[in-house]
Amino acid sequence: MRISIDRMKYNQEGVFVGINNELRLHLAGMGLRAGKKIKMITREPLKGPVVIQVDHASISLGIGIADKLIVEVDE
Amino acid sequence: MKVLLMGHPNVGKSVIFNRLTGANVVSSNYPGTTVDYTQGYMRVFDRDIEIMDVPGTFSLDAKDKAEEVAVKMLMENPDAKIICVIDTSKLERGLYLALEIIERGFPLVLALNMWDVALDKNIVIDLQKLEVILGIPVVPTVAISGEGISTLVEKLIDVEPVDILHISNTMKLSCLMTSPGCAGCKGC
Repeated sequence: MRISIDRMKYNQEGVFVGINNELRLHLAGMGLRAGKKIKMITREPLKGPVVIQVDHASISLGIGIADKLIVEVDE
Repeated sequence: MKVLLMGHPNVGKSVIFNRLTGANVVSSNYPGTTVDYTQGYMRVFDRDIEIMDVPGTFSLDAKDKAEEVAVKMLMENPDAKIICVIDTSKLERGLYLALEIIERGFPLVLALNMWDVALDKNIVIDLQKLEVILGIPVVPTVAISGEGISTLVEKLIDVEPVDILHISNTMKLSCLMTSPGCAGCKGC
């Protein structure tokens, strides 16, 4: 099932599918690229940022970015 | 000779700078501590080497003011040698920046900083293989205690630029030789 990152549940894991625009390079610099396993760490309320784990790094993403990024998760 | 210290925010560039120059620039465990650059000198084999501590940047496409400073400094010093500092436990994402710098033709030494922290996290890195693939010196360092700093300087003196195509070739070769656990760079 494919959902956007901001809709993942706490501790849920998934595989980043990718994105095809200028954001791609920005994310690649932070280690997030297609095929990467990611894990939801926390999602702040009230349209706050989303923190995910990629490899051994935590990355926080603004909700405006997180809702554009698609991950493949198990049902 | 000019040397630029580059790397992601909060990987220890300023601590390495202090180690190399004996200066005392502010460093803290917080990304974005260095927003402007600092210059210093060290003396190796009777040669003065100018070192510049560059603000942290994730890539060479600047996203904010501090990153703009970093990219501008790189572009203004086309004859500089680069020490690319990487947080060892976040090796992969650090390599992205390193490769970008190599691609622009700069001679580069990789400093795998916070090596001790990576050990604590049970992260094992095959240094020799990494050196073979990249064709550049890779030095494990622990900047706060000074480990690896002198090796870093030694390797820095003779470092030469490498061709990015060479790296992609060795990468494909080593991909063929490695394990089923390959994440799939689609290079092979």
